[in-house]
Amino acid sequence: MIARVLLAVLGLAALAWGAWCVLELAGGSVSTVVELVAWLVGGPVLHDVVLAPVAGGLGWLLAHRLGPVWATPVRAGATATGVLVLLAVPLLWRLHSGPVNPGLHDRDHPLGVALALAVVWLLVLLAGLVRTARHRRRHRPGGLSPRSPC
Amino acid sequence: MRRGVRESDFTAAAHHARVSARLGLWLGVAFGLCFVTGLLSHAAQHPPGWLSWPSRPVSLYRITQGLHVISGIAAIPLLLAKLWSVYPKLFTRPLVRSLPHALERASVLVLSGAALFEVTTGLFNVAQNYPWTFFFPAAHHAVAWLAVGAILLHVAVQLPVIRAALTRRGPTADPAEPARRSFLRTTWLAVGVAVVATAGAGVPLLRRVSVLAWSSGTGPQGLPVNRTAQAAGVVAEAQDVAWRLEVVTPHGVSRLSLAELAALPRTEVDLPIACVEGWSASARWTGVRIADLLRAVGAEPGRPVWVESLERGGAYRASLLPGTHTADPLTLLALGLNGQPLDLDHGFPCRIIAPSQPGVTQTKWVARLEVR
Repeated sequence: MIARVLLAVLGLAALAWGAWCVLELAGGSVSTVVELVAWLVGGPVLHDVVLAPVAGGLGWLLAHRLGPVWATPVRAGATATGVLVLLAVPLLWRLHSGPVNPGLHDRDHPLGVALALAVVWLLVLLAGLVRTARHRRRHRPGGLSPRSPC
Repeated sequence: MRRGVRESDFTAAAHHARVSARLGLWLGVAFGLCFVTGLLSHAAQHPPGWLSWPSRPVSLYRITQGLHVISGIAAIPLLLAKLWSVYPKLFTRPLVRSLPHALERASVLVLSGAALFEVTTGLFNVAQNYPWTFFFPAAHHAVAWLAVGAILLHVAVQLPVIRAALTRRGPTADPAEPARRSFLRTTWLAVGVAVVATAGAGVPLLRRVSVLAWSSGTGPQGLPVNRTAQAAGVVAEAQDVAWRLEVVTPHGVSRLSLAELAALPRTEVDLPIACVEGWSASARWTGVRIADLLRAVGAEPGRPVWVESLERGGAYRASLLPGTHTADPLTLLALGLNGQPLDLDHGFPCRIIAPSQPGVTQTKWVARLEVR
């Protein structure tokens, strides 16, 4: 109980300090307060209304349309794809960015994303094929153990 | 009649308390590391009176800031997995049962809002991409306190649930456990993918593998440039033969030409340059020790020095070099980089290079040093 009270007191103190810092940052400018609040609330709204239902629905669809052999690797591949795409957004959508500097932000990021996704889905394909082969061996009529010398 | 989505409609293994608790634990580690290293970076850039940021080990800032960015990146898949794990709670009915319940739900909204704010703004900042008008460092710092406060409060409220979920061992194997493990394994995999795809910005071994790293590790003289002479508006002044380094001490003002500076004893050091945006790279610098330069003008090393650039505007046109760093024999007023005279974009005619300092304080195109 003492631990919980201590955690709660520390948490409230940090929250109060954070709120003070946010107000100080806004410096009485209403438009800055509105912008900060929009960014703070926009994340959960975008996540709860768009990102989570789309990702969850896709996951459900994969689990119900694909057999047990392919579902796991495809789901892992889709997750990796989602993460890579999210990480790439600020690198690809550069409407509000500073100039490209020598050695900074000068990689070919579209090519990089394409290569990364190609590697991910190649691995998904490999994992799926290996799992299919294993599955077939296990369920072969005659029931030979996979370690059998013949 | 439509009855709408209910919490009980979510039956997948991902939504089990054991999964939520385990993800929460790892997310707590990632956020904790990110918060502490973030505060360290803040202290290194704005040293409070009671703390002097050390100059050794030379890679200290490179490591703390690298960890800051890597733990922040790792937190992205962890946060999304955690939010998905507890997503059904969004559909709990009634929405609010009591005042404590309402406060708890509000604190979770602050937690998810602040956490998503931190990872999103951080990710956009490393890309130097600013789709907002507020000052990023101040906002990122303020909201970090909100996030940490909300996390502590959340743990305080949920501690019994967390304890039970992390320690409970059933007498028989739970048939749903493999599916939970599979969800967690997929999350670790996503964390691994995110880290490997980006960590090359600071980890030389991963430079070619990290396709989403914001630094390519190249640039003039083999080092990336964060601000060009053109962007800083110093192209003409930096190359003006009339340039003199002004050194102000309590006893007077000295003015040194580039030739006079070059005639002083030279030192060669290997030092990393580590940006607050998480990219870093090592280089070989040649130049005059700040300690030697201070002695040459009759000042004592170990005193802080205010460094001003030729740049007229910009948030980072000047910096305070702490006493610890002016006394360190590795701190140079650099004139050369990787065997050549300093490139214009790296700060010609001279720049500060100090061990374990944030990149933004390694002032380029130095015009004036003032011993404080």
